[in-house]
Amino acid sequence: MGQEYSTDARLAINGAQELSDNETCFVGIGIPSDAALLAKHTHAPDLTLIYESGAISADPESPPLSTGSPSIADSSLMIADGLTVFSDLQAGHIDVGLLSAAQVDQMGNLNSTVIGDYSNPKLRMVGSGGAHDIMCLANRVVVMMPHDPRRFVERVDFITSPGLFPDHRKKLHLGGGPTSLVTDRARFVFENGELMLKSLFPGFDRADAVDGIPWKINDSKSFIETPDVDDRFASVIKDRLSYLEPNANP
Amino acid sequence: MSDSGKLVSLSNLVRDHVRSGQCLFIGGFGHCVPFALAHEILRQKLANLTICRSGTDILFDQMIGAGAVAKVIFGYIGNPGVGLSHAFRRAVKDNRIDVEEWTNFSIILRFHAARMGVPFLPSRVLQIGDIHKASIEVKSIDCPYTGERLSCIPALKPDVALVHAQRADEAGNIQFYGIDGDTIEGALASRKILVTVEEVVTTDELSRSPETVRLPSYRVTALAKVEMGAHPSYVSGMYGRDDDHFRDYDRISRDPDELAQYLDHWVYGVKSRQDYLDRIPQETRSNLLNHYGKD
Repeated sequence: MGQEYSTDARLAINGAQELSDNETCFVGIGIPSDAALLAKHTHAPDLTLIYESGAISADPESPPLSTGSPSIADSSLMIADGLTVFSDLQAGHIDVGLLSAAQVDQMGNLNSTVIGDYSNPKLRMVGSGGAHDIMCLANRVVVMMPHDPRRFVERVDFITSPGLFPDHRKKLHLGGGPTSLVTDRARFVFENGELMLKSLFPGFDRADAVDGIPWKINDSKSFIETPDVDDRFASVIKDRLSYLEPNANP
Repeated sequence: MSDSGKLVSLSNLVRDHVRSGQCLFIGGFGHCVPFALAHEILRQKLANLTICRSGTDILFDQMIGAGAVAKVIFGYIGNPGVGLSHAFRRAVKDNRIDVEEWTNFSIILRFHAARMGVPFLPSRVLQIGDIHKASIEVKSIDCPYTGERLSCIPALKPDVALVHAQRADEAGNIQFYGIDGDTIEGALASRKILVTVEEVVTTDELSRSPETVRLPSYRVTALAKVEMGAHPSYVSGMYGRDDDHFRDYDRISRDPDELAQYLDHWVYGVKSRQDYLDRIPQETRSNLLNHYGKD
């Protein structure tokens, strides 16, 4: 069954499964947006998608390039502004944030700023955008990473979006930080400060799930080897997110 | 200056109100990005500019690639949904640009503080991680009421805001609707506000939907009418986003020579607004106008 889906589709499905109905969800562009839309059109019809451009309850019909794109504006129930939605985030009204990045480490820190040294980088990237804010302020955060061992590092080169930081988060009244991480092969959960394997995508085994990740990953108490994957994901991908299909032209 | 004197030509808008070395807020969170106004700044060869906003797009990259920018202040810098900002990347590599990077929320708070006339606003972000000690130093404060530790996000008051909007009257009351992001925030934070609009209408026409009038005449310095002045970005209700232009720009901007040719074609070589519009392929232009049934 796993072979029916493209890599991006599996990642989006794994992300979608982290979301529940009636939640408010702060989403970025790309794979996080795809995951939220998949959830909304399957098990979470009353999921509220919020984009940092200020668009609320958006349901774009075609994949937006920007959080300010026409497909988001045209399909929104409400268009507020950045101050409104980030204020809701800071005041604790957003249940979950979805984030991706170039690098992640075992503390859940994310890097989207530089590869290498900040003052003399090997690669200068896009920076935080809203990612730091979402990671600090959402009640919980789902991290979405393509399974690429280069992206999983002992310590990120730059902490754009801070991960666990349990003592600081409590003292500074911040949100809960990263609670789970999904790849296109598996779902992981942070339990007591440790990233643990929660479930596999059909067609992948334990070795596939942790292949190339530079730290040891144990099974969660709630580990499920072969979870059910909702058949409806396939039809939603076909109908609304066809660019996630295996032979789609991006 | 009397109110009726605010409507000017695009070239006069820049000539009379923008100077080299100033800090410019660039409006447009993906929507209503003021490409035409910023391109006029490049044609008039202004330099050593500081440009700022929360989430940027390829207009920032073009201004950097044109050599007009000494410093960038941003939350995100890239080509949204497509990739990196290549001219910016090269400028960082060659140490040709000063960088001050924040987050989208903290940039918005910086504008909001300036808009409110206060020196800073307290926030919970930028206290853990690496951003608050990389290109910036963010101070903190203990709340005098609760004792909570908060970051102090300093006001940012740009010299000039560049905004593109749907419509205005000749007095400079600006109608703006659709995706805002930090566009109105950044404009009202700035000392001067310069605006380009798609259409100039009567004050009576504007007052039929006063909730869409977002910038009042008393804050707007001057304006010009520029058709499709946000292309290749879009204007809600008027024309769609030229996504292919943004995708092509990724390839073009990877090579400095190709970027120079691009700037010659879309900026320096443009003789008039009609000339610019004629450079957009007819089919593309029809499709963009068709997005809101305007063709």
